Amino acid sequence: MYQALFVDTWPWWVGGILIGLLVPGFYYFQNTALGVSTGYGNLVKIISRSKLPWLQGEKFADAWGWRVFFIGGMVLGAFVAGRLKGGTFLTREMSLFTEVLNWPFLGSALYFFSGGLFLGLGARLAGGCTSGHSIHGLANLHKSSIIVTVVFLIFGAIAAAFLRTFLLGGGAP
Amino acid sequence: MSRKLFFLASGFYFGFVLSRVGASNYQVIFRMFTAEDLHLAWVILSAIIVANLGMRYLKMKGNLGRGGKPIEIKEKKLGRLSIIGAAIFGIGWGMAGACPGTVLAQIGEGKILALFTFSGMLFGTYLYGYLLARWPKIN
Repeated sequence: MYQALFVDTWPWWVGGILIGLLVPGFYYFQNTALGVSTGYGNLVKIISRSKLPWLQGEKFADAWGWRVFFIGGMVLGAFVAGRLKGGTFLTREMSLFTEVLNWPFLGSALYFFSGGLFLGLGARLAGGCTSGHSIHGLANLHKSSIIVTVVFLIFGAIAAAFLRTFLLGGGAP
Repeated sequence: MSRKLFFLASGFYFGFVLSRVGASNYQVIFRMFTAEDLHLAWVILSAIIVANLGMRYLKMKGNLGRGGKPIEIKEKKLGRLSIIGAAIFGIGWGMAGACPGTVLAQIGEGKILALFTFSGMLFGTYLYGYLLARWPKIN
């Protein structure tokens, strides 16, 4: 029982049902669309005390708004999941990436920072991320979200194919 | 329950589920994009279907939230550079093996490299605001 709940990876449909319920749940209880990436704007405002006009708008009027709590909750939830699963807490591993590549830590750090930079800039230009566009938007059959999600997936696949060919080796290790 | 407590609790739930279903594992995301392992694709697809059914149910009940307040659903509008932004995001997703939600789960699990993905995201978000201040047309 413990093994199935807290150690083994859940079957896809369990995760799908539990994540999917967030969308109607957010609307029913808070009249809000599910979304994570906008909250990074709140974090930037809090950390940098930036005077950027974009962060002075209505959306970020309350820098410590609900999105910050949602983000904090996500870190905590995964922390508990990780501790229940067991294993060491702080780790430099990143599954396949660090198993195959013997890069110095700084190289990997720079690599993931660049990936994050693309994610942050891209999400703002696209108007949302996986949760806001691909789950919330697609569930509501929004045309803009369908277009954006198709582009996400195409370029994600291109990036992965590129990595597979030039960095991580041809076959599955 | 106060609004912020609701979101703290639902964030906890979301982060816990993402971690348990393997969405915070670099190679699960990588192999979704190389089509070697579609576990995560099924997670996302079933989440969309469940969310869609839930929204249909709310609509059937008159689109009223708790306390009888009407629910407003707004479609996200595309900006001039949204498609390019989506392409940039896709590359980042494939590279980092994380998205803005799952990187938070990776941090919670104690993956040090995820802190760099996260910092990059903060910087990218700042960069958007910086570019927008100079070229308002990018929106």
